[in-house]
Amino acid sequence: MTTGPAEIFDLGYRGYEGERTSRWRRRLAIWRDGVRISLGLGRSAGAKFASWLLIGLALVPMVVLVVFAAFLSPAEEAAEDFELPSYADYYEWAHVPLILFAAVVAPLLLCPDRRDGVLALYAARPITPTDYVGSRWSAFLTVSATAAWLPVAVLFTWNALDARSTGSWLADNWDVIPRSLAAAAAVAIPLTTLSLLAASFAKRRAYAAVATLAVLLVGSAVGGIAEEDFEGSVADILSLASLSQVSVDTVKWIFSDEIERPRAGWVSGLWLTGVTIVLAAWLLQRTRQLVRE
Amino acid sequence: MALLRARDLTKTYGSVRALDGVSFEIGEGITGLLGSNGAGKTTSLKLFLGLISPDGGSAEVLGQDPRRSPEFRTRIGYGPEHDCLPAGVSAAEFLAYMSEVSGLPRTAARLRASDMLRHVGLFEERYRPMGTYSTGMKQRVKLAQALVHDPLLAFLDEPTAGLDPIGRREMLELIRRVGRDFGISIVISTHLMGDVERACDSVVVLDAGRLLRTGAVSGLTEETETLEIEVVEGAGALLDALAAKGLAAHLDGSRLTLEHVTGSDYDLIRDAIVSSEALLYRLAPTRLALADVFSARPADTGADEGEAA
Repeated sequence: MTTGPAEIFDLGYRGYEGERTSRWRRRLAIWRDGVRISLGLGRSAGAKFASWLLIGLALVPMVVLVVFAAFLSPAEEAAEDFELPSYADYYEWAHVPLILFAAVVAPLLLCPDRRDGVLALYAARPITPTDYVGSRWSAFLTVSATAAWLPVAVLFTWNALDARSTGSWLADNWDVIPRSLAAAAAVAIPLTTLSLLAASFAKRRAYAAVATLAVLLVGSAVGGIAEEDFEGSVADILSLASLSQVSVDTVKWIFSDEIERPRAGWVSGLWLTGVTIVLAAWLLQRTRQLVRE
Repeated sequence: MALLRARDLTKTYGSVRALDGVSFEIGEGITGLLGSNGAGKTTSLKLFLGLISPDGGSAEVLGQDPRRSPEFRTRIGYGPEHDCLPAGVSAAEFLAYMSEVSGLPRTAARLRASDMLRHVGLFEERYRPMGTYSTGMKQRVKLAQALVHDPLLAFLDEPTAGLDPIGRREMLELIRRVGRDFGISIVISTHLMGDVERACDSVVVLDAGRLLRTGAVSGLTEETETLEIEVVEGAGALLDALAAKGLAAHLDGSRLTLEHVTGSDYDLIRDAIVSSEALLYRLAPTRLALADVFSARPADTGADEGEAA
């Protein structure tokens, strides 16, 4: 039997005849891309550095404290002298790296698309501007809320394992799980919305990061001055300018911890929700404008 | 079948009327949307993509109102004029992602991305970051991303912008191949008549927001067909013989030019050459360029012709 000479066949162009996905799957593609950008996955080591460093700064201290507590645990006297922070207290520390994470990393989800002109391509795809910004927003929220929740989850797990009876401890403390999720959302949602809004006004990531930090720092300064120099309802109202403090107060209210100022915890929660809704509406309007330009 | 339909389309930005009651249809094949800056080309594209709403009239794409739902864009491609490629991402990754956003499943998106990059001649370079590409390569990626989800119709805004003559010719050949072999209809928005003549089957000409002309490119140039006759000797006798048969010619040295020659005139011209005993060197129809057609009709508003076409 003989074989003929080898031939190369050019199949030419083949159209696509398979199924086309739903709009939810298209949103999911943008969401997945946003998560990858937020974590620097598939990017250079430099792109990963800021993300993982800041997530690590939020998480590692809690891990270290828990490991330390685990070592002390057999020595009962030493363990009694060492006290782990409460769930709400930890946010006073973790809030700083989480703010930096939002300010530095969130602009990566919008600024390059705008600077490189990719928004024009999204505009011509079968999605709306709301789909685009909603997917980007939820992608960064997923990462930042996870980063905000993980330390509390570590502490919760340790507390459960360290209890004399894990089962009865869980039965008594199950409400920490929804509270911790709500606390992570209370920290991550306003930060995500504010930092993406700042990014929608800047083509360069650095400008967006500075704008986010400026808003939070100026707010904190106004809040601090208000509490030092004013009294009563005037101080209460002016101190609402400090979004980061309002966020921490909301977390304390969620965990039923004591709040150090006269303002009721639910007022902080309500104010934070209102401000976030306004920022989100602004972000949506701004992105619609950008995509159609 | 009309893929695009504009009916009395009007769009105003402040005091500027970008489109002024424009009506035209675009069918299958490659169509040039021709006009100078400010003619209304980009506004037309934005209206057809559903990115802006008309102030009057209507735009239809594939039989649908583009403002109603973004779903029609699963079968629409778009390549903008300006840069739109992220520098740090590879072409393969970017096209696969854009394909997914356009409605293809993940595995199919990756296969189509590689396939399209092969068709535009970038298969070997597909894993390189796009920031390292030349202008010609970037234009090819822009074309590939417009086609990666297998649209029925693709809008290409100035696809030859920034290319040298060879790159321009190759890009236009690629566009011809897409229209001919891929079966994807193309609308090229351009201010370059040469691009329309080389690549397009039909043309829609806009000027200051109004429709100037529309029709097949060959039809537009045929209707002003000119015949050139060059003789070695006997030019004067031939001029007289043509006049005797009722054909007006312009004599320039040994060259005679006859305007608006129709098919039946060729028999009369043949007889005139024979009777004048002129020694024929060359006889050839001269197809005018689109530029000649429009520069010869500066006052032609074209509204009637547009609707007739």
